[in-house]
Amino acid sequence: MSEPLQNVFWLLLFPGLVFTLIIGLAASWIVRKVSALVQWRVGPPLYQPLVDIIKLTGKEILIPIQAQQTIFIMAPIVGLSSMILLSTLLWRIIIAPSEIFIGDVIVAIYLMIMPSLALILGSSASASPHAAIGAGREMKLVMGYELPMVLAFIVVIIKTGGQLGLASIAGYTPVFSISGFLAFLVSLLAIQAKLGFVPFDIAEAETELGSGVLMEYSGALLALWKIMQAMMLVAFPLFLVIMFLGGFGTTGAQLWAGIGKFVIVLVLVILIKNTNPRVRIDQAMKFFWVYCGLISAIAVALAIIGSLYGISWL
Amino acid sequence: MNNHELIRKLSAISDKLTGIEQKSEKRITLLCESANSFAVNKFLFEQLAARFCIATAIDSDKFFEIIYHYSYDQLGCVINLKVFVRDRQKPAVESITPFLPAAEWIEREIHDLYGIDFLNHPRMRRLILADDWPQGVYPMRKEAKQ
Amino acid sequence: MSWKIWSLKKSPWVFHVNVGACNNCDIEIVNCLTPKFDVERFGIKLVGSPRHADALLVTGVGTRQAAVRLREVYRQTAKPCVVFLIGACPCGTGIFHTGYHVEGPVDKILKDEDPNAIIAYVPGCPPKPEAIISGVVKALSVL
Repeated sequence: MSEPLQNVFWLLLFPGLVFTLIIGLAASWIVRKVSALVQWRVGPPLYQPLVDIIKLTGKEILIPIQAQQTIFIMAPIVGLSSMILLSTLLWRIIIAPSEIFIGDVIVAIYLMIMPSLALILGSSASASPHAAIGAGREMKLVMGYELPMVLAFIVVIIKTGGQLGLASIAGYTPVFSISGFLAFLVSLLAIQAKLGFVPFDIAEAETELGSGVLMEYSGALLALWKIMQAMMLVAFPLFLVIMFLGGFGTTGAQLWAGIGKFVIVLVLVILIKNTNPRVRIDQAMKFFWVYCGLISAIAVALAIIGSLYGISWL
Repeated sequence: MNNHELIRKLSAISDKLTGIEQKSEKRITLLCESANSFAVNKFLFEQLAARFCIATAIDSDKFFEIIYHYSYDQLGCVINLKVFVRDRQKPAVESITPFLPAAEWIEREIHDLYGIDFLNHPRMRRLILADDWPQGVYPMRKEAKQ
Repeated sequence: MSWKIWSLKKSPWVFHVNVGACNNCDIEIVNCLTPKFDVERFGIKLVGSPRHADALLVTGVGTRQAAVRLREVYRQTAKPCVVFLIGACPCGTGIFHTGYHVEGPVDKILKDEDPNAIIAYVPGCPPKPEAIISGVVKALSVL
């Protein structure tokens, strides 16, 4: 098969868009079902997230007259394409670890910011005061959690002895050391904010009286946002599994261990989601800058000391 | 202080009232004409230090009544001040908002629904009727009942 | 039955509009959406914007001021959509039919805007949450 055709196959079918979307819809069903069971109720049937997206594609698309039309339509497409790239990258590293390129950690971190940026762009182009407030709060939230998260990933790079390729990082399990454990906690909370789950869903459901950032979107454009969020639910925990928990195998026991690790991260996210109320934006910023920043700075210091003196459990 | 003291204090302004009725132990009704409404309200709010609760307007066939409800918290006693507005063509009474800002909205509502003009009201605007409601139609008046 | 209507039946997202209600029906609607009655098993979810909604839950008698806003909200709801009138007031103005502020029963207001509006009636004063769920499910099953 020729090179471009193979790339298109990887990006769009397996393991890119369609494959990740199917797993993402299953993961979002797991989120809703576990939340329902925690609240002693039954919850939606298995096909519910799929039917939501099908229904959204069948509705008409309403665009406000004063909205910036090009950016309004392009923003979900930009967010979705960054998630397609990220998920293809992560799955290809798992499936074919020999085809690495040095520095794909940096590309992955870069791609992880894109969905939030697309959200900010799309809501700013909406010409609505609710969306503008939502955009402002999303911007502040991103400025809050990015620094502690990047510091946490630097801890991993130090612990693995300076490796910058995801496939080689996947061989180590930094979570079993003190600095790695602290870094895992910080990045778990940052992932919670990235996914837009309580307690940090300040941007989207923030004005439950208005739906915040996605207020003016309807129909197929809203379906694109929902698809992007479903894929985020796969890609981000997968990234955490590769960085901290020792990767995802492809055969036999390794595969089952990988799936188990993914499910553990997902369940942690769901439990934090179901046991906390939503926080205000100033509380969230203080939390990320002061507490998480401090913890990840301590983790970096411990990791440097550990690698200098050869103490592996530090 | 008990009820008798309160009645004694109220008789300080009895020259402006046309009647004082004690309906029950916790309820005193004062009657007065629209010309004296401002002075009596000022007395009740400032000298007696009663707490203003709300005002009510009634269309009794031959005249309008505005009832100001005050609460005398020391005794748990309610003082109702009934003001009779006799002129049905151009009903007017002096607004008490200048010294009692809490009355601003209820006077706007009474004006919307009954058409009673409140003189010297600082911000008389439509309050509860719809934006496209025709001017001059006062829905709570008896003749508007059709 | 087209796939659009089928998927709308399986996943109706609701938006709540109050056009002059005494708030009794609003409280019952909010009760209905709590975990005790678990409407998520029907796919029903409360959304914050009419553009995301498939079903409008309208309460209230339809006052003159609110009629203008209701027409605007109906225009902003992405079609195809269903309107549920919850309570006796929007179904036929209830006890307020001689009120000076009443513009008319809500279905008259909506049919002025869109003669083909799909409207379902859930009477009661207020209808219990079980009645609201039963009305919504019955209406969706005959769509």
